[in-house]
Amino acid sequence: MTTIPSPVYEVGLSPNQAKGSTAVSASHLSKTYPGGTQALQDVSFTVNRGHVFCLLGRNGAGKTTLLRILATQLRSTGGVAEVLGHNVASNTETVRAKIACVPQEARPQMMTSPWDHVYYKCLIDGMPRPEAKARAKEVLELLGLWEHKDKLSSDLSGGLRQRIIIGMALTGSPELIFLDEPTIGLDPLGRRMVWSLIREMTRKGVTVMLTTHYMDEAESLADNVGIIEHGKMVFVGTVEQAKAVTEMKMRVLIEPLVANNGSKAELLTPNSNQEILQIIERGLRENMKVTFKPPTLEDAFIKLVGGTIED
Amino acid sequence: MGPLRTNLRQAFYIGLFDSLPTLRDPGVIFLLSLLSFLPVLFIYVFTGTGSAALGSIAGATVLILAFTGLNAAQSVYFNKHWFRFQDMLVATGVAPTTYALGLSLGTLVVSLPAVVLSIGLLLAGSFPGGLQILLAIGSILVLWVAMIFIGFSIGTATKNLRRANSLAPILSIILGFLPPVYYPLSRLPDYLQPLAMLVPTTDAAQLVKYYFGLLPLSALNVEISWMILAVFAVVTAFVAIKRANWVDP
Repeated sequence: MTTIPSPVYEVGLSPNQAKGSTAVSASHLSKTYPGGTQALQDVSFTVNRGHVFCLLGRNGAGKTTLLRILATQLRSTGGVAEVLGHNVASNTETVRAKIACVPQEARPQMMTSPWDHVYYKCLIDGMPRPEAKARAKEVLELLGLWEHKDKLSSDLSGGLRQRIIIGMALTGSPELIFLDEPTIGLDPLGRRMVWSLIREMTRKGVTVMLTTHYMDEAESLADNVGIIEHGKMVFVGTVEQAKAVTEMKMRVLIEPLVANNGSKAELLTPNSNQEILQIIERGLRENMKVTFKPPTLEDAFIKLVGGTIED
Repeated sequence: MGPLRTNLRQAFYIGLFDSLPTLRDPGVIFLLSLLSFLPVLFIYVFTGTGSAALGSIAGATVLILAFTGLNAAQSVYFNKHWFRFQDMLVATGVAPTTYALGLSLGTLVVSLPAVVLSIGLLLAGSFPGGLQILLAIGSILVLWVAMIFIGFSIGTATKNLRRANSLAPILSIILGFLPPVYYPLSRLPDYLQPLAMLVPTTDAAQLVKYYFGLLPLSALNVEISWMILAVFAVVTAFVAIKRANWVDP
């Protein structure tokens, strides 16, 4: 099995490009930081309204840079980006009135409660006090934080603290929400809680754009994924389209049933039914355990960023 | 609600939220308020004169607010780099001036007891007219605004926690304890006095002492002091506009 370099794949850019259906549109977006680091190069993609778009990439690939530009927190050095029909550079205030952002590694203030965070955020958003109280209650109940509303954040688990931050982002009823690694550091239950929140938001028509390292998260949530490598968007499309890039029917792990019998585990990617049969026969002949798995998003990611499946 | 009122309301709630932990810990407020009065205590003990102490109380009044503005740097830094609160607010349309004012109001809330006490002590020692009181407070507020600009610039522009935590205290010493703020300008050698007058905290302290009848100043000296304060505020505003990062470059 050979190592395949990473070409650029643009499979199925979001269909239905009619005006009003696009939540995010980036055209030849670039970013070079003041020190000379080129974080983004010629990035172009679109996100449909009401969709979940997951941005995948290695550490330092440019995911957060891209997200921050779209969230009007960082200036681009080239190209054009529009969010909900408005240019992020020239119509910044209009964009900000419709979006919310959960930054990477955001933390609640330890000596304040979930109620304090969400209630005061509502007040900062401009709501009168009665409305702010009602909205805070609604958000805390939605996030399962109502029973913890008066506890100090320092006394809450990581998952609950993350919900506080998400709650602050939801107070203004945004049309589009940016989430930068929203489940990092959370336990599996906490992650699923955040996933279910994201699904609930999209059911209500909110567009969600998030970055993540977790492939299962992208597979579970994404309508479309974008894969960034060294500042370039190397793939945009659905999860299934990404898996098709691997050109694998399946991946096969063949390993000895008994350890230390002289045989080693191997990862194989058969390209034909004939090869699959040969692997099965080998497994039976050599008394090996053969596990068949369909190609995963992780396989596609590894292939697209230039690694090998066997790595 | 007009834009100005909206921004002031936002600033108020930003400041209130930021100061909640401290407001709920009265001991911290008491301690922070006392710090500005420590030099007053020393001066009173070592000079033994009430008038010298009253003059230093004027200095303390000036510096409470000046330090408040400078110490906003730490709050700005933590809200930007640790809590990421600034990034969340950038994406909501809160203006940077509103945010800076809000965080400074937060630290002001904490120092309010000390401010009220110091002004009360000044009034007890010397009660000028209403206009003089307003002018004295006005001179302190101009200095406070300038310090906010400095604190905001430091907090948003630096990515180094140690620098964010150390620059404000260093500036506090340079601007607060070294120049003749707690002690009279006349204690400095003649050749240093013009230099000292270039330090804005000296001018604010001179003006407060003047308006409370503790220090005679010529009309020219009063004008010069106001001018230096105004120039300082404009320069720090310019630095903040150029250096402070609301939206990162």
